[in-house]
Amino acid sequence: MAFLRELYLRLRWRAGRSRFQADLADEMQFHIESRADELESNGVPRSEALLRARREFGSRLKAAEDTSGAWQMQWLEDLAADLRYAGRAFRRNPGFALTAISCLALGIGANTTIFNITTGFLFSQPSCRDNASLIAIWEGGKMRSSFADFQFLRNAQVFAGMAGINPEREVNWRDGDRTSRFYAGTVTDDFFGTLGVPFLLGRGIAPGETNTAVLSNQVWRGTFAGDPAILGRKLILEGRVYTVAGVLPADHRSVVGFGISPDIYIPAAGDDDNVQFYARMPKGMTLPVARARLLSLFAQLDRIHPNEGRQRTDRQTRVTGVTGLDLLQQAMPGVVVAFFAMLLVVAGLVLLIACTNVASLLLARASSRSQELAIRLSLGASRRRIVRHLLAESLLLSVLGSVAGLAIDMACAKGIDSLALPVPLPIHLVVSPDWRLLWYALCIVFVSAALCGLLPALKAVRKDVSHALKQEERQTARSWNLRSVLVGGQLAVSIVLLTTGFLFVHNLLRATSMNPGFDVHHTIWAYMRLVPEKYSDAGQTKQMSLVRSALERLRALPGVEAAAITRRVPLNDYCAIGTELRTDVSPTPIHLQYECNSVGPDYFRTIGIPILRGREFSTADRTGSQPVAIVNETFARTVFGKTDPVGHTIAMDFANDKPKLIVGVAKDSRYFTLGERQRLAVYEPYFSLGEPINLHFLVRTAGSPAACVKSITDALGSLDATAAIEAKPMRRALGLALLPSQAGAVMLGAMGILGLMLAAIGLYGVLLFSVSRRTREIGLRVALGATPPDVLRIVGRQSLVLVGGGMLAGLALAFFVMQPLATFLVPGLSTVDPTAVFAVIGVLAATALLASLAPAVRALRVDPMTALRYE
Amino acid sequence: MPDDSPQLLPGTLYLLILRTLAAGPLHGYAIARRIKERSAEVLDVEEGSLYPALNRMLLKGWLRAEWGTSETNRKARFYSLTKEGQKRLVAEAGEFNKLVNAIQLVMKTA
Repeated sequence: MAFLRELYLRLRWRAGRSRFQADLADEMQFHIESRADELESNGVPRSEALLRARREFGSRLKAAEDTSGAWQMQWLEDLAADLRYAGRAFRRNPGFALTAISCLALGIGANTTIFNITTGFLFSQPSCRDNASLIAIWEGGKMRSSFADFQFLRNAQVFAGMAGINPEREVNWRDGDRTSRFYAGTVTDDFFGTLGVPFLLGRGIAPGETNTAVLSNQVWRGTFAGDPAILGRKLILEGRVYTVAGVLPADHRSVVGFGISPDIYIPAAGDDDNVQFYARMPKGMTLPVARARLLSLFAQLDRIHPNEGRQRTDRQTRVTGVTGLDLLQQAMPGVVVAFFAMLLVVAGLVLLIACTNVASLLLARASSRSQELAIRLSLGASRRRIVRHLLAESLLLSVLGSVAGLAIDMACAKGIDSLALPVPLPIHLVVSPDWRLLWYALCIVFVSAALCGLLPALKAVRKDVSHALKQEERQTARSWNLRSVLVGGQLAVSIVLLTTGFLFVHNLLRATSMNPGFDVHHTIWAYMRLVPEKYSDAGQTKQMSLVRSALERLRALPGVEAAAITRRVPLNDYCAIGTELRTDVSPTPIHLQYECNSVGPDYFRTIGIPILRGREFSTADRTGSQPVAIVNETFARTVFGKTDPVGHTIAMDFANDKPKLIVGVAKDSRYFTLGERQRLAVYEPYFSLGEPINLHFLVRTAGSPAACVKSITDALGSLDATAAIEAKPMRRALGLALLPSQAGAVMLGAMGILGLMLAAIGLYGVLLFSVSRRTREIGLRVALGATPPDVLRIVGRQSLVLVGGGMLAGLALAFFVMQPLATFLVPGLSTVDPTAVFAVIGVLAATALLASLAPAVRALRVDPMTALRYE
Repeated sequence: MPDDSPQLLPGTLYLLILRTLAAGPLHGYAIARRIKERSAEVLDVEEGSLYPALNRMLLKGWLRAEWGTSETNRKARFYSLTKEGQKRLVAEAGEFNKLVNAIQLVMKTA
């Protein structure tokens, strides 16, 4: 309090300083005159009295200075003066200032952008009231649990409120005679109210409402063109009418986190919905208490409705906050977190390069200013004062650099905001700058100012004053040690960046050209999503006949060679099962992990996976007939060894699973990622299981698949107008599989190029500077008969030592640093990638050549007479 | 003449100013004058330290300053105690008395 008042008074004083000084002069004048009056009344003549009074008062100037000193904040005044001085110096030398600021801007822009993405994806604060009292409940460690359990917990009223959501549902929206698909979140009663979600327009779904919907901002702006009269509009979703009740704001972040944000929210239908549990703790409740309460509730639930398989009171049952690390640990695969951590490290390295760049620029500046500094030192400036002044320069540079960097970051954020990720999930990152970014930027400013400025400043004042005063520093090869160490280090770091970047680009090329084991060039994936209500009462027959007639129509289309239905499209969805498995060749069960898929007749011919032995499924393989299966090569080899599996049976350790007869062996292919290790796989006939409402058709075309997309969409659309249909060539559907390598290649490639650019600028600057300092020496050599090749050799040797040393150090460093990156690479690509190494050496050598060429030419142009006259 | 006037103990100038102003607002010259009179001409406050001290006290919020007219009809700056200044006076006076008594005890008995 007292401190704040003082600060306020000081600032007020600072604002009215000139008036204050006038007042003080008046006051002192009054003092002197009063004293003179007194003396006069004692009989001293007026002029004599005034003189004496003045003498007695002493130095008015000193008194005024001391009085002002009481008010001043000395450090602030000094800082302001230093900054003004630095600003003037930059204006005199705009080339230097511009280079330094743009280096820092690039480094800081890259850093804040990566930081922004990382926090947006991993650490976003949900847009809810009082996040600290919100918890996520993981029943048995599962992400989602049954609606019935949710209701039981809510009725127990242990918490101040409960909210449930399933953010990964889909709904069909019928708009006139078009049907399209939305990612929907189904939410429990008063979901928005319990969480306290702010709205842009309207309100949330009220308790008890079954036919209202809430729109996300991106859908409102995109699909509905920001219609201001959207509230109250009727939407036909899944064949039912919903009324739009509200629109979320643009910066809405869902409680689920990780950028997951459904297009539309509707009330949960009820019993068949599994939801994620969130609860608001009453005041004073802590996480352990909440968990203890939950466990006793789950124990009750286990008695009333025993869960098959896992108990709800399992050790895995957890209660976590909805923000920060605990959510991350529970819900995010480590490899994704590691990827972001690596990005942050890489961005940090880029900043380091930028800082060393600026540091070497400042060093060069300081050494050309050594005379000025020496004069100031000898006139009595303290070393601390001069260091502070030089640091103020670097502080000003980093502040300006950060402002420019933040501008770059804003531009990137805008780009990311409009980016649609090719993933089958409603992910929309809100990367708006927030206080965390500001703090981060502020830290960067100070760290970079210290990194850039401290070393040059300390070096500048360590010099012997008399030596520096007497003569300009004679440039010799020895005295650019510190700068060359900086540039060498910079080169080393940029080699690490560049090899990483190249490695990931190589990885992307490898992944793109990698054979997924099936044909992506002549196949189309058509996704038909049915409205569940239309097919629920008729049972399986209605869907089966729809699928049958759909396949008939597809096969009849011109240009179509084959068509099939499948439960899962490889590389876009997966289903890994781990279970005990029995065969008829061995009595002991084996534990296996395998991929499963249910496919219709002609699947293997359509997608182009060869059947090596036996046969494909036929229309005869259906519910009620002999259970059959097709396995892949790896499965056959792992389970049956050298025996031909066709004709043998396998049985999974599920409740009432009948032994399945293996009718064929398919060639190995990729199932979930292009880079995966070869997995085991079991295929079952499509019609042997309950029917889903998501129909995935695969179509094989004779020519280019793009030409058939429209006719396929139309053919399927004519069967059921309420179904949402999306058809695309398989090639384009590989987005999800390629995403990791693409993201890696783009981000790290960009960082590598940025690092190289900065290192090249640094190298160029240092070589140029050192040659210009050697002007006299070169002139002397030329005058004494050195030929142009000799001069080039001098300059060349300097850069060769620098570049060679930096490269060797960088390659050694890269070898160790890159070991942990193996996790991100496709099989067959090692972290020691000769292609990457050669590419990096080539690029850097070319840069070094370019960077040395200009100084070399300049060195040659030096006229010996001019150079010698300096002596 | 002022050479034989004793040096003020550190901090006592604040106390003297506070005590002088306790009777009512005064301008700078009057403060110096009053201190000199009351100390039977022993304590002579130097002008060079009076004004910095007054300003430091303003900054600490012990004093308040207003322009007014002096008894000789000149424009003068009058200082007066704030509430905080009064509290400060009580506290410092107590401290000071304790210190002086203690010193006197030592002087008498040791």
